[in-house]
Amino acid sequence: MSFLQPMLLVALPLISLPIIIHLINQRRYQSVRWGAMMFLLAANRMSRGYARIWQWLILLFRALAIAGLIFVLSRPLASGWLGMTGGGKPDTTIIILDRSASMQQLGPGAVVSKLETARQQLAQSLSTLGSSRWVLIESTKNVPQELESPEELLELANADPTSSSADLPAMLQAAHDYIQTNQSGRTEIWICSDLRENDWDSESGRWQALRDSFLEFAQGVRFNLLAYPRPAPDNLSVRVTDIRRTQTSDGVDLLLSLTVRRDGEADDRIEVPVQFEIGGARSELNVEMVGPKYDLKDHRIALESSQQRGWGRVSLPADANPADNDFYFAFDQQPPLKTVIVADDPAAARPLELAASISRDPLLTCTAEVLSTDQLTAVEWEQIALLMWQAPLPTGSAAKMVEDFVRRGGQVIFFPPRSPSSAEFYGVSWQKWIEPESEAPIVSWVGDQDLLQNTLSGTSLPVGELRIRQYCELSGEVIPLARLKGDVPLLARAPTDQGGVYFCATTPAGQDSSLAVDGVVLYVAVQRALAAGADVLGNARQLIAGQAANVSDVTWERLSGDEESLSTEYPYHRGVYAEGERLLAVNSSEAEQAATPLEADKVAGLFRGLDFARVDDEAGNVTSLIQEIWRLFLVATMISMIVEAVLCLPKIRPLGGSPA
Amino acid sequence: MFPDRRSRDFLDPQALSRLAGLPLFSRRPMMGSVSGRHPSPHRGASVEFAEYRKYVPGDDLRRLDWRAYGRTDRFYVKEFEADTNLRCCLVLDTSGSMDFGSTGITKLQYARKIAGALSYLAVQQGDAIGLSCVAEGMVQNIPPRRNPAHLLHVFDTLEKTEPKDGTHLVTVLHELAETIRQRALIVIISDFFVEPEELRSCFEHLQFRKHDVTAFQLLDPQELNFDFRRPMRFLDMEGGTPVFAEPNEIADRYHKAITQYLEDLKQVVLATGIDYHRTSIDEDYEQVLTRFLAGRTRGRGVR
Repeated sequence: MSFLQPMLLVALPLISLPIIIHLINQRRYQSVRWGAMMFLLAANRMSRGYARIWQWLILLFRALAIAGLIFVLSRPLASGWLGMTGGGKPDTTIIILDRSASMQQLGPGAVVSKLETARQQLAQSLSTLGSSRWVLIESTKNVPQELESPEELLELANADPTSSSADLPAMLQAAHDYIQTNQSGRTEIWICSDLRENDWDSESGRWQALRDSFLEFAQGVRFNLLAYPRPAPDNLSVRVTDIRRTQTSDGVDLLLSLTVRRDGEADDRIEVPVQFEIGGARSELNVEMVGPKYDLKDHRIALESSQQRGWGRVSLPADANPADNDFYFAFDQQPPLKTVIVADDPAAARPLELAASISRDPLLTCTAEVLSTDQLTAVEWEQIALLMWQAPLPTGSAAKMVEDFVRRGGQVIFFPPRSPSSAEFYGVSWQKWIEPESEAPIVSWVGDQDLLQNTLSGTSLPVGELRIRQYCELSGEVIPLARLKGDVPLLARAPTDQGGVYFCATTPAGQDSSLAVDGVVLYVAVQRALAAGADVLGNARQLIAGQAANVSDVTWERLSGDEESLSTEYPYHRGVYAEGERLLAVNSSEAEQAATPLEADKVAGLFRGLDFARVDDEAGNVTSLIQEIWRLFLVATMISMIVEAVLCLPKIRPLGGSPA
Repeated sequence: MFPDRRSRDFLDPQALSRLAGLPLFSRRPMMGSVSGRHPSPHRGASVEFAEYRKYVPGDDLRRLDWRAYGRTDRFYVKEFEADTNLRCCLVLDTSGSMDFGSTGITKLQYARKIAGALSYLAVQQGDAIGLSCVAEGMVQNIPPRRNPAHLLHVFDTLEKTEPKDGTHLVTVLHELAETIRQRALIVIISDFFVEPEELRSCFEHLQFRKHDVTAFQLLDPQELNFDFRRPMRFLDMEGGTPVFAEPNEIADRYHKAITQYLEDLKQVVLATGIDYHRTSIDEDYEQVLTRFLAGRTRGRGVR
């Protein structure tokens, strides 16, 4: 049990008041000379124990009445899980609110989502608990925002559900920074989440750093976790994996690939009606799924031949989580894929040019242009998908241009120049050329993702057949994608937030490698880089909710989606938006849809050493987490007083009671 | 009667004169030295016929009943009851507890009034009066005499009695039972704060010695009612350890104890057949004595 006014519990020693009064009363005796001592002594001997118990009972009930009164004034809370908060009203209460898509899951038989329940519970509980300052950190911006009162949570638009994921470590970091900056006193942090691994990132090293930094606070920080871990079995989610517009002899078709996922372990056969809506025209497809996942490949939806671009939606019937029942998509004619090649060796440039300009799809136009470094200023970077650089690493204005290009989502592949300079790009620089005695074989490569990924049918690329005659050493932090003997990286990727920066340690020139001769690997890698670069170029883009947040300075116009979302929060809400000429389809991430809840001991491990309390709530729960129970104590006080009064009642003596 | 004419606070002449109208009779035959008002175990010269007895040589011929001889041709002697005076021994409890009194008069003062009045009445009708004061032992012992001068001595002694020490009533009563000559009127004035069972043996002892035993038990109303309100420290008047008590708490049990005691005492009284008078000291002593004397008048004639 905890108390809103625990300071008043200091008055608890007052329960000894009846005892003190009793003792004082005993000292106020009168002395009398008495003859009939024999009866007094007999009375004293007679059933003394029973009378003693009677007296003790009276004393006990008096003490109970006072204790009850003190408890009433201390405003006790029936919570159980909060434990003894010990210090009464905290100075600052920080509410960390997970607004991620999974929080929209409804409770069993309830129409209220986890997030809505959590907001109501928090508003109710926190206004009971009281605090000097209220701060909200919600999962989209991770920026502390001061509230007037916890009831604001119910009305605040940026406490509404979003389609994005949450980043709990970042939110806690924001809370930490807030406490540090504002030098707040005793702080309570209320974390409200559904404990999805995707949101919590429990394996991250940030948790250890957070734990250490919170432990450094002297004023005491208490963590209260309001968790909604209950999964929704039989919840279905839909996700469009690929969308293409194709021209056939009959007209124009949209080829749509999608995945329907089912949560839980059930493997019975169910029929799911999948509804497609493109430009207001609806069609429905019943799919039968048995296991947890169903893939639909290239479902063909006929378009009007004049329709070049558009958007649409795939929907499932309503279920436990309404947030993953719709998936928005936008499509457009593929823009021409332009590649810029900067090369100082024509022998190396030629294979690259060929690999970049041969289109994989007859509907696509691929062009490649070989330039020198000083021609870069004339390049229209907005239309370039891929940059291949076989020259000394860019410096100065050239480096800035390339960096901007990468930041916008462009892809760059660097090849070593004939004479490496000391210049660095993304912390990586070329060292010297090495010419091994025999051709160096490629011993390992990353086949599950990135440029050297296996083909869709699962066969691996013939990377091992390549012959490397000489290569240039790399220095700096890179993620190797292919390695030569001796753990020398042949193809590596520099860590970037947007776009892709690759370093290939050799060139396609015949003297360096067989990349050009065994051209499959080179072609596939270049085409893949080109496709990745083209993703950000097209006028129709698929975005993950929350990831495009930094472009929100551009005004978006909503075409479809959540009606109630704020325009400033469009990047966090699923839907289709128009940004000038471009169509943006925003959806929640795949990880958000598939995430599994964290186990209880793992969560406890994250807060090890910190003052941490957790309560599991359920969506649709209407009973308050904490309740003031002073009435109960008042009733107890009154009962104690009545019992005491009854015990104190003088005995009814028989008429003429005196023995005379 | 009062040669020095000194007034004594325990004697009320008017009350005495009123009480003088009632004779003090004994309930059993007494053995006095002179003629008096009380029945004697012996035959004597009173006017009250007792029985016929066969003549034996040596009897006074004047006592032969000639009429009986005429009817039966046998010699009978006619016998009459003897009337004698009595010896009244007052046993006065002067222990500490007798000093208690919540109504303006202590038990001892009350006892003096009773003892004084009885002494006066006894002497007035020619009976001998004696006085024994009892506390932890026999404090005073005046043997019975019947002359008025002796009465003065008794009054003086009564006046000088002081309540102190504990009570060894039982021992003293046994002692008196043995020392007082048989067939006397023994009036015990005390609060009898002794176990009833112990009293039973005393009374039986006295009865065995053919004494006519009368007991005045003097009790204060407060002792009976125990109507205290505040916590009290009760100091034992007979020198025992004080007792601290919360009256609310203890009153019930006190009443229980005293009721039990009085009940037991009643059983003892009934069993031993003594003349017992429980007296609350707020009662007028004259009434108490009137009741006592009148009761004796009714019971007269038992020999």
